[in-house]
Amino acid sequence: MIGLTLTWAIWAIWPTIQYQGLSNAEKETLREEGKLDPIESRTIKQGLDLKGGMYIVLEVDLPTLLENIAENKDSKFSRSIASVRERLSQTPEADFFTLFTNLTNQNKLKLSRYYYDHGSSNSDILSSLGEESEDAINRVLEILVNRVDQFGVAEPTIQKQGSQRIIVELAGIQDSERARALLESTALLEFFIVKDISTTNQLMVRIDQVLKGDESIAAITKVKAAEEKIKSQKSDDETVSVSELFGESENSDTQSDSAAVDENIFAERPFSAMLRNLGQTIGVPEKNIYAVKKILERPEVQEKLAAVGGMFLFSHKAEEYPLVDGTLETMYSLFLVEDEAELTGGVVEEAKANLGPQGSTSAGQPIVNLSMNSDGARKWSIVTGSNVGRQVALVLDKKVHMAPNIKEKISGGGTLIEGFADINEAKDIAIVLRAGALPAPVDIIEERVIGPSLGADSVRSGTLSVIIGLGLVLIFMLIYYRFSGLIADFALIWNIVLVLAVLASLQATLTLPGIAGLILTVGMSIDANVIIFERIREELRKGKTPKAAVKSGYDRALTTIIDANVTTVIAALVLWQFGTGPIKGFATVLFWGILVSMFTAIFVTRTIFNSFTSRKGFTKLSI
Amino acid sequence: MKIIKETNINFMGQRKLTTIFSAFVILVGVISLVVNGGPKLSIDFKGGTLVSVQYTEAMDVTAVRAAMGNVNIDGQSFDFSREEIKHFGGENSVSVRVPHMDDSPENFAQKIVDHLYDSFPGQVPESKTDFLLGKGSVGPKIGAELSGKAVMAIISALGLILLYISIRFEFRFALGAIAALAHDVLITLGIFSLLGFEISLPIIAAFLTIVGYSLNDTIVIFDRIRENVKINKREAYHTVVNQSINNSLSRTIITSLTTFFVVLVLWLFGGEVIHNFAFAMIIGVIVGTYSSIYVASPIVVHLHETASK
Repeated sequence: MIGLTLTWAIWAIWPTIQYQGLSNAEKETLREEGKLDPIESRTIKQGLDLKGGMYIVLEVDLPTLLENIAENKDSKFSRSIASVRERLSQTPEADFFTLFTNLTNQNKLKLSRYYYDHGSSNSDILSSLGEESEDAINRVLEILVNRVDQFGVAEPTIQKQGSQRIIVELAGIQDSERARALLESTALLEFFIVKDISTTNQLMVRIDQVLKGDESIAAITKVKAAEEKIKSQKSDDETVSVSELFGESENSDTQSDSAAVDENIFAERPFSAMLRNLGQTIGVPEKNIYAVKKILERPEVQEKLAAVGGMFLFSHKAEEYPLVDGTLETMYSLFLVEDEAELTGGVVEEAKANLGPQGSTSAGQPIVNLSMNSDGARKWSIVTGSNVGRQVALVLDKKVHMAPNIKEKISGGGTLIEGFADINEAKDIAIVLRAGALPAPVDIIEERVIGPSLGADSVRSGTLSVIIGLGLVLIFMLIYYRFSGLIADFALIWNIVLVLAVLASLQATLTLPGIAGLILTVGMSIDANVIIFERIREELRKGKTPKAAVKSGYDRALTTIIDANVTTVIAALVLWQFGTGPIKGFATVLFWGILVSMFTAIFVTRTIFNSFTSRKGFTKLSI
Repeated sequence: MKIIKETNINFMGQRKLTTIFSAFVILVGVISLVVNGGPKLSIDFKGGTLVSVQYTEAMDVTAVRAAMGNVNIDGQSFDFSREEIKHFGGENSVSVRVPHMDDSPENFAQKIVDHLYDSFPGQVPESKTDFLLGKGSVGPKIGAELSGKAVMAIISALGLILLYISIRFEFRFALGAIAALAHDVLITLGIFSLLGFEISLPIIAAFLTIVGYSLNDTIVIFDRIRENVKINKREAYHTVVNQSINNSLSRTIITSLTTFFVVLVLWLFGGEVIHNFAFAMIIGVIVGTYSSIYVASPIVVHLHETASK
């Protein structure tokens, strides 16, 4: 029996030892030969905290999902969704559907108006919406798995948690930023027609009028101005009047960029004052971006936008534009586009990242080539055909990547997107476009990244402390209990080998708390031996023979050991139930550590003792 | 070899003194907790952002603090100089913790890392991968849920243990054990509060392990009491309890010592991440051993004596 468990333990633990001994180059050769997988699947996995990597919890944005699938949206509906959102942010632990149900009852919202194809009564619709959201999460999961697969990560774990969340664990990942962008992107590709200059011009005038004299606007901009003065010496916030922005005069650029802070213009035209004229588009200096966004979010501004049926979109990245005095200013572009998309990314059939061909405007730049299905190609040719001469904005996740002028009708459905920082970004965008758009946006609600160097440190110090801790205990037992201590030491080493074997065969993940659990197991498992040995010593003092003393020592100690360990097992089980990731790893090791230590302390050492005490002529026990 | 000869210490005779001592230590801890407005919770429970980075040379925290005074993210300026900024492990490493903000910019943690990287161009490794030790952002929703779960975990663990001991021993033993556990956790919590250490998820795990360890210790003594009560029916109860503690004293001390050494090693060599976990365990081992003798057993004696009067 004892020999059997030992053989099993060595068999189970062997792949791990083998795997640890391999260099990276050797791993690669084995992987190519297909021999690595069977070894890998039988090793103890290292947790994120040891290997480095990222752990992300994504939550599907249910309010937006419901908004997206609703028809005939009116202001009452929008208000209701907005108030659910607000309540969710106030009481984060509340359930979305409970809140939504309460609110529909309160506001007497007739859901059949917005979701007529989901049923007729409110309760039918709500349960159908519940199913739909469940389905949406499953699709999100599928799409994310697809994206991560194409990205190429070894051993990704992607799983659903509850009804609204997805947990992604990517061990050993180096570039966490790319992975994050890849996961978070909704991948919603839209094509918008950009509004003409005169409409934009008029709208700016109206927005300026609405905001004029608003104290809070002055507050936002003044704070900005003050900061700028500290940071840079140059006089800033060169303001531009609306007429200068979109004026006919060719030299408007020169005037606007040389304009200094003018409190009068600021007061008269607070919105335009924060913008720059970039010829065909509006420029927003990087430092003003927050203030501009805040202004655009204001209800009175939104009202003006709704009146012209448009919305503002920012460019995907900021670019440097030369000012008149020769300095460069980093600016985003701002586009006023129609509020309905002409075409969405659902029609994309294939997306490939490339470098722009020679001779084109995007030569050498990273681009993504798109081809559309026949339906998309037909619509695209209609859109381009009827808007020749206008600008079309290619928008990904609400950010404008490019806004070229339509020169002629495009048939065939091929197009390309430019405006990427580097080829990696283009590649990742191609991946998300191929995998498809998420049915609802996702928010990252928890994110943990452990750098590879910290992980390596933890492995080193964890291993060191296991070895030192174990060494100390082994030496102590040997000195204190002499020969019996040797037996206990033997049992202890065995104990550790067995626990590792169990972990390997369970394919458990070893985390840093797991290593702590292992060290704790060392401490706790020695306790069983101490209880037994102290009992045997007591029995010997009473004058019993070694054989009888061993027997009654073990018998009496048994209940104590079981009672004492069961309570720790209870604590371990509760931890396991409650914990995530690292804590679960700790609980697993603790649980198996205790079970195995009971086996080794009670059964294994006793067998060894018996084999000695049963010998003839055995009179003195070294304990 | 033998450290402990057969002893006959009147442990129960010291119980008044030890009760005062325990009460005093707990009181100091509780006062500290009240003054600080409860335990200092990590981002795991409160939400927020924590980043830790590694420079190529020793950094002055004041310099980092000054650099965090004006952080510009997407056109929005922040002053983080009053947030928690400290060394993380060595002199080269720095960690910054920022509480949750409702309106925090996208990819906030990375923006802070970038700022820390750009602020000290001469003192950073070439690649940002080597610079970043770790970062974490936890939303308030997750934090609130985890707090709820942690409370549930502790309550259910205590409940189950109470049940088990009531079945295996008697109800008053269970009360004694639970009182000892509460004593241990309160003292550890108090010491953490006094030292300004924060309670993170691993610390909760440490607390539950302390609970397990302390119980282990308590039950070994209870077991002896149960056994000795059967043998010496005539003796006064507190004498039997005394005798039982003395009987198991050598075991108590040896086990506590070995466990203490093991967690001490963990504390000294286990690395930064596990440092506070090991520290909680060190306190737990000391307090757990003390409480089995001076909290759990006296309560059992007291309950027995009041019941038989």
